[in-house]
Amino acid sequence: MKKSTLKRVFAATVSAAMVMSLAACGGSKKAVEKQEIDLTIDQIKLGEDYTDIEADLKFLTHKTDVIDTTFSEYITEFQKLYPNVNIEYEGITDYANDITTRLTTGDWGDICMVPMTVDKDELENYFTKLGDKAALAGTYEENMLNNYAYQDNVYGIPSMANVQGIVYNKKVFEDAGVTELPKTPDDFLDALQAIKDKTDAIPLYTNFAAGWTMTAWDANIDGGATGDPDFANTGLTKGENPFADRGDGTGPYAVYNTLYEAVKRGLTEEDPTTTDWEGSKGMLNAGEIGCMVLGSWSIVQMQQAGDNGDDIGFMAFPITVDGQQYAAAGPDYNYGINCNSSSDNQIAAMCYIKWLVEESGFAQGEGGLSVVSTDEYPEALTALEGIELVVNNPAASGEENLFNDVNNDSELGINVSGAVPTQVVEEAVSGSKTMEDMAAEWNEKWTAAQESNGVEY
Amino acid sequence: MNEKKSFKAWIQSGKVNRKLCIIVFMLVPVALLLIFTYIPFFKMIGFSFYDMKYIGDREFVGLQNYVEVFTRKDCFQALKLSLYYIVASFIQLALALYFASVLSFKVKGGGVFKGLMFFPYLVCGIAVGFIFKFFYTRGFVLDTVLQWCGFNLENLPYWLKDTSINNISVAATSIWRYMGQGMVMFIGAIMSVDASLYEAGDIDGANSFQKFFYIILPNIKTIIVLNMILSITGSLSVFEPPYVITGGDFGTGTYFVIMNKLAHESQKVGLASAMAVVLLGLIMIATLIQKGVEKYYFGVGDQESIREVRKRKKRQELEAKGGAR
Repeated sequence: MKKSTLKRVFAATVSAAMVMSLAACGGSKKAVEKQEIDLTIDQIKLGEDYTDIEADLKFLTHKTDVIDTTFSEYITEFQKLYPNVNIEYEGITDYANDITTRLTTGDWGDICMVPMTVDKDELENYFTKLGDKAALAGTYEENMLNNYAYQDNVYGIPSMANVQGIVYNKKVFEDAGVTELPKTPDDFLDALQAIKDKTDAIPLYTNFAAGWTMTAWDANIDGGATGDPDFANTGLTKGENPFADRGDGTGPYAVYNTLYEAVKRGLTEEDPTTTDWEGSKGMLNAGEIGCMVLGSWSIVQMQQAGDNGDDIGFMAFPITVDGQQYAAAGPDYNYGINCNSSSDNQIAAMCYIKWLVEESGFAQGEGGLSVVSTDEYPEALTALEGIELVVNNPAASGEENLFNDVNNDSELGINVSGAVPTQVVEEAVSGSKTMEDMAAEWNEKWTAAQESNGVEY
Repeated sequence: MNEKKSFKAWIQSGKVNRKLCIIVFMLVPVALLLIFTYIPFFKMIGFSFYDMKYIGDREFVGLQNYVEVFTRKDCFQALKLSLYYIVASFIQLALALYFASVLSFKVKGGGVFKGLMFFPYLVCGIAVGFIFKFFYTRGFVLDTVLQWCGFNLENLPYWLKDTSINNISVAATSIWRYMGQGMVMFIGAIMSVDASLYEAGDIDGANSFQKFFYIILPNIKTIIVLNMILSITGSLSVFEPPYVITGGDFGTGTYFVIMNKLAHESQKVGLASAMAVVLLGLIMIATLIQKGVEKYYFGVGDQESIREVRKRKKRQELEAKGGAR
């Protein structure tokens, strides 16, 4: 009898405790408050300041493959300078989707890679200010800081920078008799045709099924296709009918038309719905694929995917504007610090970010450009000689969110979902719409979205 | 001491004790249900009235999201794809019923077959997606098997690219996955049929078909209807197969896939929430219609169907009238 009452009391207490703790979960959000720190990243001298700081940092990353290798080496190296800082990496496989939801809780960790979904005017509510743009411009490439800067305050430092273009197998191009890298869409399509006729390789592999790989086409439409660092703002965000055919083989239309024609002429894989991203790396390495449209970050992965690393090359997107070829360059994921963390954690996180960007050699190891002004180009990108790199200028103040808003409202998902190149492949296969039909459709959606966001030409 | 005892006595007295037990035992499941089902659900209904993203300000827009759901072309177009899945679910139920009625009786290796056919249901949906992605790849499993049967690779379609066939390919995966589950449910129902009915059937000289149609079918009516309701509502909200196998490309994007795209790629959370609420309404309507039809034609449980009752009434009325004359 006594035992059973005890049990009952116990059960009641446990369940009450559970409910209380659940309720506490709901309430804890208010307890998290923004911690202001009075320090910027340019003021830190690595290995001299704050070396005795104690902190346990949690780092959310999309690079799930190197957490136990490269990143744990970084931690060891960093702890030589800052012995009392512990860093724990948490890899998120579906990073781009999950991070947005986790950010909204406020209690996600200390450092993360800032997702594109955070609007610029919201940055200060989630991330610690890392410094003034002018002050940071001395150390880092100023243009690379624009993505997560709002009103001259910088909230994210790029882990590295990418050049957009095409990764290709040199041997396949040689076997097909293509000695000179194509400079216009027509040259490029001729080269693909030659590969199809003279070799067994798939000339252009779309990686359609993976989905995100299609955004690589979007990345070429502004700077790379026009040579104008302002095109993203004046031409695309605020321009009239940006997707219309410019008639001279430049601009967004030319980029998407290249894909359309390649698919239509059968220069891509037979069945885009069953492409395999992991497998494609080895196939490019082995010369079973001619080329793929991807950023420079992919070079190292392609080189390591097989025995023929030396065959892998990188070229700019084949569009020439007034005799000059351009390649779009831009920052990769940026490091950001949780502004709700304790001030010690924020300072330690800032030291670690500075170390990662300036000392770790992460960018070079990944085949990307370092954002530190004094660092040199990695070897893989030496083929880009004579090609001008274009970094988009920041949007005018007050219009920082405009591109995101227009992009979301139009549902074209430029640089986000790859919806446009996906549709191009689908229509090129089924043949129900021509390139002109689609361009008109995109222009219509884009214009409607511009109108609802108050854009006037 | 005295007081404590009286408290103990009070709390142990039948009525209080019983209520206390009920409350305490209900507390946890009810709390879980509220926190993980109802609060998010009502939040979502709230979201559907806002123009909002995951991060940033929200703006109240009233019913505008709902208007958009009904005026957009792609939302209801996507619902048409459900027809493929509804057809697939009927094929799946028919197969399940067939195997269940065979396997309910003594068959050699029955246990092994049951296990093999139930197994796909245990595989997680995402894995099923990947399995079938390779299954349908050009020159892989399906093509190879068909080539053994004498088909020429050139004459075979691209299972996922060809828009006239790809929805069938994707819907077929759900037959493979859920057939075993339906079968196990049917076997359970058939097992509960009174064995003396079969004996009576045997004595009257009923063959196997007659036994199936006049003994098994009427007895498991309820579970068949339940399965039909579940598969039709499931067909309206298909997500995993198209999302994993084709990503919703080449015209295979179902309502849920489109909803997911709007919410995550275009950040139109309010619109996607409104879509979810509309779908909920549609599913409720579909279920009500089904329930009504079921009640009218088949009756629920031991109840007679309304049609039968009416027929009888009419007959009786006629008889009464005839009698009066």
